[in-house]
Amino acid sequence: MAESADVVVAGAGPAGAAAALVAARAGLRVVLVERGPFPGSKNMYGGVIYPRVLDTLLPRWWEEVPVQRWVTRRATMVMTGTKALTVEFRGEDWDAPPYNGATAYRADFDSWLAGKAADAGAELVCSTTVTGLLRDGTGRVTGVRTDRPDGDIRASLVIAGDGVNSFLAKEAGLYEDWSVTHFTVGVKEVLALPREVLEDRFNLTGDEGLDIEILGGTQGIPGGGFLYTNLDTIAVGVVLSLAGLRDSGKRPEDIIAALKDHPAIAPLVRGGELKEYSAHTIPEGGMDGMPHLAADGMLVAGDAAHLCLASGIWLEGVNFAIGSGALAGETAIEAIGSGDTSAAALSGYRRRLENSFVLANHRKLRGAHKLILGKRAQTVYPELACGIAQRVFTVTDPQPKAGLRRWVHDERKRGGVRLRDIVKDGWVGWRTFG
Amino acid sequence: MGVPRYIAAALKWVDLRPEVDPLAGTVRHDTRTSGLSLADAAALEWALRLGESWQLPVAAITAGPPEARAVLRDAAGFGPTRLVHVAADRDAPSDAIARALAPLLAGAAVVCCGDYSADRGSGSVPAFLAHHLQAAQALGLTSLAPEHPGSLVAQRRLDGGRRERLQVSAPAVISVEPGAAQLRRAPLSGLLAAGRAAVETAAADQAPEYGSRVHLLRTTSYRPRPKVLAPPRDQLPRARLLALTGALSERMPPRVVRAAPEQAADQLIGYLTDNGYLG
Amino acid sequence: MNQDVAPLPGSHYDGLSFEDRMATVEFRVAARPHITVDSDVCRSCTTKACVHACPAQLFVPTSDGGVLFNYEQCFECGTCYMVCNTEGALTWSYPEGGHGVVFRRS
Ligand SMILES: Cc1cc2nc3c(=O)[nH]c(=O)nc-3n(C[C@H](O)[C@H](O)[C@H](O)COP(=O)(O)OP(=O)(O)OC[C@H]3O[C@@H](n4cnc5c(N)ncnc54)[C@H](O)[C@@H]3O)c2cc1C
Ligand code: SF4
Ligand code: SF4
Repeated sequence: MAESADVVVAGAGPAGAAAALVAARAGLRVVLVERGPFPGSKNMYGGVIYPRVLDTLLPRWWEEVPVQRWVTRRATMVMTGTKALTVEFRGEDWDAPPYNGATAYRADFDSWLAGKAADAGAELVCSTTVTGLLRDGTGRVTGVRTDRPDGDIRASLVIAGDGVNSFLAKEAGLYEDWSVTHFTVGVKEVLALPREVLEDRFNLTGDEGLDIEILGGTQGIPGGGFLYTNLDTIAVGVVLSLAGLRDSGKRPEDIIAALKDHPAIAPLVRGGELKEYSAHTIPEGGMDGMPHLAADGMLVAGDAAHLCLASGIWLEGVNFAIGSGALAGETAIEAIGSGDTSAAALSGYRRRLENSFVLANHRKLRGAHKLILGKRAQTVYPELACGIAQRVFTVTDPQPKAGLRRWVHDERKRGGVRLRDIVKDGWVGWRTFG
Repeated sequence: MGVPRYIAAALKWVDLRPEVDPLAGTVRHDTRTSGLSLADAAALEWALRLGESWQLPVAAITAGPPEARAVLRDAAGFGPTRLVHVAADRDAPSDAIARALAPLLAGAAVVCCGDYSADRGSGSVPAFLAHHLQAAQALGLTSLAPEHPGSLVAQRRLDGGRRERLQVSAPAVISVEPGAAQLRRAPLSGLLAAGRAAVETAAADQAPEYGSRVHLLRTTSYRPRPKVLAPPRDQLPRARLLALTGALSERMPPRVVRAAPEQAADQLIGYLTDNGYLG
Repeated sequence: MNQDVAPLPGSHYDGLSFEDRMATVEFRVAARPHITVDSDVCRSCTTKACVHACPAQLFVPTSDGGVLFNYEQCFECGTCYMVCNTEGALTWSYPEGGHGVVFRRS
């Protein structure tokens, strides 16, 4: 006999947990199904969560969220084979509530957030994989199948928060043009360092943290690198375009090894003992790879809906997952309240997303991934920036300094960078990030 | 002993992936990697099978810290009639565990246990338990076949590849090897109900201690084995030497103890003792 | 800050084999493989992209031009099916609930 619920949520990642939390709070019967033995056990990411999205959902979340360190400094490092140029920013009030970002392990964070949904009344079922959709004769989604004996669950609405490989969105036919070019893969190492060494090395005190995003450290494969500080570990890894990796013939762990050997990174990771190695894919197509967000009886949120920004210099997704999950939850309440969960009745979801930071940011950054993953941003500009920086910092006495204009000109010539391209990319970049 | 009324599964909550600090030898536990060992899962499966075949209710019982209730929630997915938790220390010795469990298992036809736990257990809890219950014991079983209610035929390994077949009559305590059965998957309805299932907390009134001539005086902490490291890759002998010795490279800053010589000495000895180097 | 320093001696020395690397990860291996590879199809594949791209190094080319695959230490990431150009070479699904990779610090 099939179980039944108002809403069944597939996946207890940030998207699924937020959706379940919102729907359960409104008194709906919610079953939250997770395939891992505990929420977060299947999930890896770079390492920084930007949790301001929780302000309305869980006021004073910072008093209990399980974090490693509060990010008080963010740096972007642009690197070439042997050089690196770092621009660092210290947030004045990032070390006090409401904070800006925090490093956390997903096993801790996702378990915590799913626990909040369970506290609100959602029934969390772990170690259970959703294996497919239940549908009626018209094709409308009426529930899910799981790999448990008697494992069907009927529901008025299914919310797919099942992440980047979303089998549910695929089965519902929501991806119009699925392409490998919309994806990257992230691999990372978590390295243990004694806390004193770590704080000394990164110049941190108390629970302050530093995050470094790296451009140009991926052996010519479009992508980026990152290095984040946890309490007594650091996370170092790379995000690689899948098509680029496929064609490169290179191995992911060798690319991390090369990054760790870079003179700018080696002193930071030296002596770290590997605690966990991990890999996960990322939807990076932005708006271009986005599926339809609703079918009859079903909504898609988080990575499953490609609501993720991870184009090299920033890695954000947990915040968008929580944001979109919460809005899917709100849409569920409205639709179930009105007794209509057809795709048309669920169109409020897209509208809600458009009006929130979720789609606003995606619209704004549409195309950013092409710019960041393009050849010029990956190799040419890092050379240019590092070259100029080297000249700026090199003391040429007794020769007088040539001056910035001259340096830029020389480096541009040396790297074969056309002024036209800089202007073009600058224009695209300004429109995208400005 | 009266008419057997139920089958019991005595389950241990154990960390399946504990972490040992390579320097200090201290063990760190994580509730997320803790649960049933494969042997205990096989024991639960056999408890369910015996319950089905003899039409007896099944009870799941655990002795351990409050977190140990997690294994009862796992068992609850299969619909046992009773879930009982007895408070006990994580590292309590086998006989203490057996004495805590025994008063609660008096009416059991068969108590099913795993043969030994993953955390260097000695497998002696079932033996102590059988003693306190004055029940038959058949330990380290590789397969079972229930016969008419209250009787089963079991097999276990001996040395030299020999096998031993046993006929066992209730009341009995059995322990099974991990391969004796694979735990079935709980149905979804069971899993949903498990979240609401009630767990009884039993008072830890211990069975009387039996006159042992062996007494545990003290257990020292783990001493981790030395780690084998691959030789350095560098070409130059000097570089290899530096890599091996760690000279010229950054290392963990020493903790500086500022105290009078006697106190400093005490701290030093305390540290070495705590970490298992002195003993 | 512009860093251009030679690596310190010893900084390359971590002596970690790929097996040791994978041993840092917990896998609760399921009885049934969640990914299967049809080695006959792979024989006609010219890229063998899975072999170098799989972060867990689970695809091993064989002397007869096929590939050998072992599902046990899989991250369930999806890289293999995304880089594979050949229809029908791979079937890909998630392992039975509760099994497979378990991350704790990622
Ligand atoms: C290398 C890398 C670095 C990243 N860095 C960052 C970062 O620093 N900051 C940031 O904010 N974001 C980062 N992201 C992005 C972020 O991880 C994702 O956007 C976010 O996790 C998406 O959340 P989600 O809930 O949609 O999906 P997920 O977190 O993937 O959760 C999906 C859940 O569904 C479960 N599931 C899947 N299928 C099924 C099924 N069939 N049945 C049952 N359960 C199922 C999974 O086990 C999982 O728990 C990074 C991603 C990667 C890969
Ligand atoms: S799995 Fe795909 S990529 Fe790998 S060898 Fe087979 S056909 Fe080629
Ligand atoms: S899913 Fe990832 S880890 Fe598993 S086989 Fe494919 S590429 Fe390798």
